[in-house]
Amino acid sequence: MSDLQDCVPSDSKAKDLATMTAANRTPLRDNEASESLAELAKLNVAPFLNKHNPRQYAPLRSEDGTSVPRPANAGYCYRHQPDSKCRRQADEHSMRQLQQELNTLPQDDQQGIAHVWSMFSAAPAKQRKLMLQGILAQCCFPQLSFISASVRELIRIDFLSALPPELSFKILRYLDTASLCRAAQVSHRWKMLADDDVVWHRMCEQHIRRKCNKCGWGLPLLDRKRLRESKREIELRASNWGNQASTDLVQGAPNGTCSVVELPNPGSKRKLDTEDHDHSCAMIKRHCISPAYRPEPDDDYYKTRYRPWKDVYRDRFVVGMNWKHRRCSVKVFRGHTDSVMCLQFEDNILMTGSYDATIKIWDMETGEELRTLRGHSAGIRCLQFDDTKLITGSLDRSIRVWNWRTGECISKYNGHSGAVIALHFDSTLLASASVDHTVKIWNFKDKSTFVLPHPEGVNGVKIDTASRTVLTACDDGAARLWDLDTKTCIRVFHNHIGAVQQVIPLPREIELENHLPDCENDHVSTSSQNGDAPVNILSPILEHKSLSSQPSSFGPSFDQDKDRLEPPRYIITSGVDATIRLWETNTGRCLRTFFGHLEGIWALSADTLRIASGGLDRMVKIWDPRIPTCQDTFEGHSASVNCIGLSDSRFITGGDDYQVRMYDFRA
Amino acid sequence: MATISLMSSDDALVTVERAVAERSILIKNMLEDLGDSGEAIPIPNVNETVLKKVIEWCDHHKNDPPTAGDDDDNRRKTTDIDEWDQKFMQVDQEMLFEVILAANYLDIKALLDVGCKTVANMIKGKSPEEIRKTFNIQNDFTPEEEDQIRRENEWAEDR
Repeated sequence: MSDLQDCVPSDSKAKDLATMTAANRTPLRDNEASESLAELAKLNVAPFLNKHNPRQYAPLRSEDGTSVPRPANAGYCYRHQPDSKCRRQADEHSMRQLQQELNTLPQDDQQGIAHVWSMFSAAPAKQRKLMLQGILAQCCFPQLSFISASVRELIRIDFLSALPPELSFKILRYLDTASLCRAAQVSHRWKMLADDDVVWHRMCEQHIRRKCNKCGWGLPLLDRKRLRESKREIELRASNWGNQASTDLVQGAPNGTCSVVELPNPGSKRKLDTEDHDHSCAMIKRHCISPAYRPEPDDDYYKTRYRPWKDVYRDRFVVGMNWKHRRCSVKVFRGHTDSVMCLQFEDNILMTGSYDATIKIWDMETGEELRTLRGHSAGIRCLQFDDTKLITGSLDRSIRVWNWRTGECISKYNGHSGAVIALHFDSTLLASASVDHTVKIWNFKDKSTFVLPHPEGVNGVKIDTASRTVLTACDDGAARLWDLDTKTCIRVFHNHIGAVQQVIPLPREIELENHLPDCENDHVSTSSQNGDAPVNILSPILEHKSLSSQPSSFGPSFDQDKDRLEPPRYIITSGVDATIRLWETNTGRCLRTFFGHLEGIWALSADTLRIASGGLDRMVKIWDPRIPTCQDTFEGHSASVNCIGLSDSRFITGGDDYQVRMYDFRA
Repeated sequence: MATISLMSSDDALVTVERAVAERSILIKNMLEDLGDSGEAIPIPNVNETVLKKVIEWCDHHKNDPPTAGDDDDNRRKTTDIDEWDQKFMQVDQEMLFEVILAANYLDIKALLDVGCKTVANMIKGKSPEEIRKTFNIQNDFTPEEEDQIRRENEWAEDR
């Protein structure tokens, strides 16, 4: 530190900078003296600079100093090594101001100040600290106040650029959608990080098919397989990203000087970012062609697979917002000549059944009527289709199976002595419900049948394949849960006043525990017991069974077979009493009653996000199973709503006004 | 009460209760692997000021239950920070930066979480320009780029 004192020749004990420069000025008037000062300064400053930072010093000495090897710089704080990305760079504006002010001073003052600066610049951390302590000790209050105010502005660190990428991603993962999208607008570097698949894959995971407790809406119906499969890929990407990016930064970083007076090179940062960007693009491309990912023949699979996760998330987010703000388009399908009683839609195909004894197949996009199926001799009450077949039930007491692609009726079953009101099939079984007080179970494989007897007519039926149970809704005011193995009724849900019209299970992955204070969190739960456990969002729901060691409340037959799941935990029913009820199957308790409809509810549908209902009061109501009050009401039918279909982005209703109406919430 | 000594990057000796130091998985593993020789454990990546700050945190949290599985934030996005930690994190950005790096290096997950949440909270709810101001970031977009990126991200505003 003797160097520092020696380089201030006139008054090394100057009380502060102001007096120091003032004292210097007088002798500097003399040209000769100023020259000698410069000489002196050079003499004293040079060894210091040379010792600590030859490269920094080089320009002062000669232009060929570039070959001097970099010193070890062991004195710098560790994060200044080996790259300098976290080193503060003075911004262009303040540097220009500094330069301008410096230019107003006499040549020799400029020289002197430049020396002080370059000396500080060259000094290792320990020496710098000492210098600063010395300067601070000399400062009077106005100067300290200036320092205090300046420092507050100066200690601002671009965390996302300075931290290792994995930590930057960790920070970004704590952000909400809107903040993430604003972060992407900050700079090239931020955009690269905030738009990355690593971040948005996580966002998708948090929202797909479940209602996020935080933001209150979910992202249903996304290819879960893709999300699961890409999990590893994304984890790999996160770590690769780190290596890739930090290598780039080391290579692209400007030299390791720690200078505050060094004029920034405005081009270098930009260039660095572009390179980085290219790299990540290249990486994405590599991901696409990498042989490690088994190619699948499915075209759609490819299409969705390589979409950026941010785009996937955006599409779902927009749909969620449209639901929230009731932004939808309405399309009316006209063609039936009597009440529309049942419907189903998948992808772009809509099928409707009517009291006019026909089934119509529609193209949902164009609204075009593709085909009309005739054959039943009376009104159609129920239908269901899959890839290959359509099954319909009619007031003419028959069930028909159709090849809906050709329009051909393949077979006809007369097993009921009354109108067939509802049906539901899976890969092996068909269940049909009739006014003849029975539900009939048909086995496609061995052609066997059996009957589940009811005290009155049956209005609704739903098979649950995983638990080999069936739910039924009966005119006697009860819904029932049947064990298909023992062919016995194992639960009765009795609370409606009057006939139960519909009964449907809620999806197994739905989580209501936190929203139903009266609902016990008991151990037979098939869903996650810990509301925060990450398990069951994506993983097949069904590993849980093995976790429960207690005997099933549904009977011993559920304990014997490891592959047999417990019945769906929650079911909902609707009735002529204008209410929807939510039940817990293992206790048989009614957890909640949804009031809002004015008359009987004929139509009911649900997914993980919402319940949709329609009825005699001509209204369609949207409910959140977690919230007791109605979320939204849609009017449009001029007569009773008889049936409703629901998907993540649409619902379709059929009514007594012969109309089919589609409400579409896609962008 | 067993104590151990740590040697910071700037060669300062810091004495700390062993149980407190073992909030750091790095130190815990070192002690388990090497045994307590009585010699100071070098922490070459953390200077004295930061090390003391980190130890202050560990001391306050020494009785916390061990954190759950490493992926426990999978579904929790909450950026709620308890009151003591909030006060603890009321430091300048340089110290916050150092604490995050030190927590990462020393493998103190809960402290790393708090640090990252603190930064996330500094970003949350701000406009791009406000974020730039907060962290002194230069806008390196051309006006055309900026406009296009703004339009690309408009969907996220709840309107």
